Amino acid sequence: MNPDIVETVNVAREVAWLPWAVQYFFLIGLSYGAYLVSLPGLVFRRPGWEGISRLALLAALVCGLTAPVALLADLHQPGRFWHFYAYFTPSSWMSWGAFFIPVYLTGLILYAWLAFRPALARHADEGGRLAGLARRLAYGGHESRNALVAAALLAFVGAALVALYTGVEVMLVRARPLWHTPLLPLQFFVTALAGGFGLTLLFNRYLSGRGDPLATRRMANALAVTQLVALLVGGVWLALGLSGLSPTHAQALAEVAPSANWQLSAVWAVAATVVTLVLAWKRPGSGLAIGLLALHSAWMMRWTIFIGGQEVPKTGAGYYSYQLPFGPEGLMGIVGTAGLWIFLFVVLTTLLPLDRIGKSGATGA
Amino acid sequence: MKDHNPPTAAPATSPSRRAFLRGIPVLTAAAAMAPAPVLAADATHHWAMLVDVRKCIGCQACTVACIQENAVPEGSFRTFVSTYSVKLADAEQPAGTYMLPRLCNHCDQPPCVPVCPVGATFKRADGIVVVDGDRCVGCAYCVQACPYDARFINHDTDKAEKCTFCAHRVDAGLLPACVETCVGGARIFGDLNDPAGELRRRLDAAKAEVKVLKPESGTEPRVFYIGLDERFQGRVEGQGTLWQPRATHG
Repeated sequence: MNPDIVETVNVAREVAWLPWAVQYFFLIGLSYGAYLVSLPGLVFRRPGWEGISRLALLAALVCGLTAPVALLADLHQPGRFWHFYAYFTPSSWMSWGAFFIPVYLTGLILYAWLAFRPALARHADEGGRLAGLARRLAYGGHESRNALVAAALLAFVGAALVALYTGVEVMLVRARPLWHTPLLPLQFFVTALAGGFGLTLLFNRYLSGRGDPLATRRMANALAVTQLVALLVGGVWLALGLSGLSPTHAQALAEVAPSANWQLSAVWAVAATVVTLVLAWKRPGSGLAIGLLALHSAWMMRWTIFIGGQEVPKTGAGYYSYQLPFGPEGLMGIVGTAGLWIFLFVVLTTLLPLDRIGKSGATGA
Repeated sequence: MKDHNPPTAAPATSPSRRAFLRGIPVLTAAAAMAPAPVLAADATHHWAMLVDVRKCIGCQACTVACIQENAVPEGSFRTFVSTYSVKLADAEQPAGTYMLPRLCNHCDQPPCVPVCPVGATFKRADGIVVVDGDRCVGCAYCVQACPYDARFINHDTDKAEKCTFCAHRVDAGLLPACVETCVGGARIFGDLNDPAGELRRRLDAAKAEVKVLKPESGTEPRVFYIGLDERFQGRVEGQGTLWQPRATHG
């Protein structure tokens, strides 16, 4: 900061991408992250992954169905969402994203339906809650291996495109050096995958008997790897910024380094990642703690990037200050998204109780 | 002046089914056509502005005139004058005041245009960058992409908004409201393609002194400055303003 210059009159631009956007990027990240965790057991049939993978698929579904609602709510004109399809603009990654999301969700829903048909049929046969609905949805309850693999492949293409567009869309904003770093899409991806493991760990923990300890260990090991990669990427980011090798990173670092809030956020993020890494590595049985920590890191990273990033003026001095409003444009947006997530979780776990799908080998796909 | 209408889907004029079906290819083609940034080089006019910082007295008359002319909501601004207190080393007085009028730069390479997911923001053939309010979805991607913090979401309309050089006035042969009202004559608006015009003459006369904001961003702004201190050309390194007006909106 140059002490010789004091800004006496200027305009504070308010945050234009609201907490809804944070929720969207968080949930869609968790969804594709958890989707990837579903592949070893359900598609590649890795022994010991069946239960985990079904839990992960349920997590991917709940988050995947909630995320687009948050995205829609972040539009200031949500009723005009159809303009995305009427006025396709190839130069805009957001425009492409409007087409990638349905590809992913179509693949994911088909994949989940094909994977859960046998479980739905069992639920109907045992006369569980909403048995009639489960029977209709099971549609015979057959296993269709080829169809499942095809649907998983469609979901994979969609997930890859969603991961790509959510990262690149933000990375391309040159006006915000903090966003305009080539490492950002990778950081989004790594934290999303960690979040996917985190949510699956949470689901696993709430199985009767606190879940399969072997499954917990397996996921803890994978989570430790994601945390290590996250730290490495963070280290590269910092090195590029400090050394000046990358002007964008240097500019991004220079913008946020003087701020006490940013310093605290950085220390917090590194500490949370290190603690998750150490716990997952040394005490892999601590499924609940590391699961929550991974989810916390994935959300906080997005909050810091989006809300914190918009607190950095593009032309003015100092920083804008953001206070979370209590209304729909703030806290209620976060609470509302969480409420929708819980509602979908309750509905889906009524039809597909965690215990039924989470036990290893209980219901093959 | 050459007028440019935003690309919109052609309405079906005949109620008959045949006419409607015939119109489908037109609708599809119109929807598929992406409104690429239009540069004004071949147009009759290429509107631009020159701000002579030396003449600005920081009265904010331009700010108020713009708000009045364009019904800008409370707490939002299409243009304003950033004001800084600058410590002086070689003068009797301890500090001086530096004024910097800011507005949309109507860039020739506008970063706000390609990011718009629905083609609602575009550059007219006469160089003015505008938003088609009927098409805007309020996603605020353009707000993020603008390097000059010149865009915002209007909470009365829930659409992206910015300075339009008062295009409605310019189209009617008038000057933008901020130019019309500027007390010190610091804002000169005109046609870059008119060699005899005041803007062109002033730009040519002050050649070496003419600067733009954030030249390194490659946006090719069409708002030029004379007397622009390099310390204020990009993001200002200084102490931030303590008071920040906050709009009350639900």
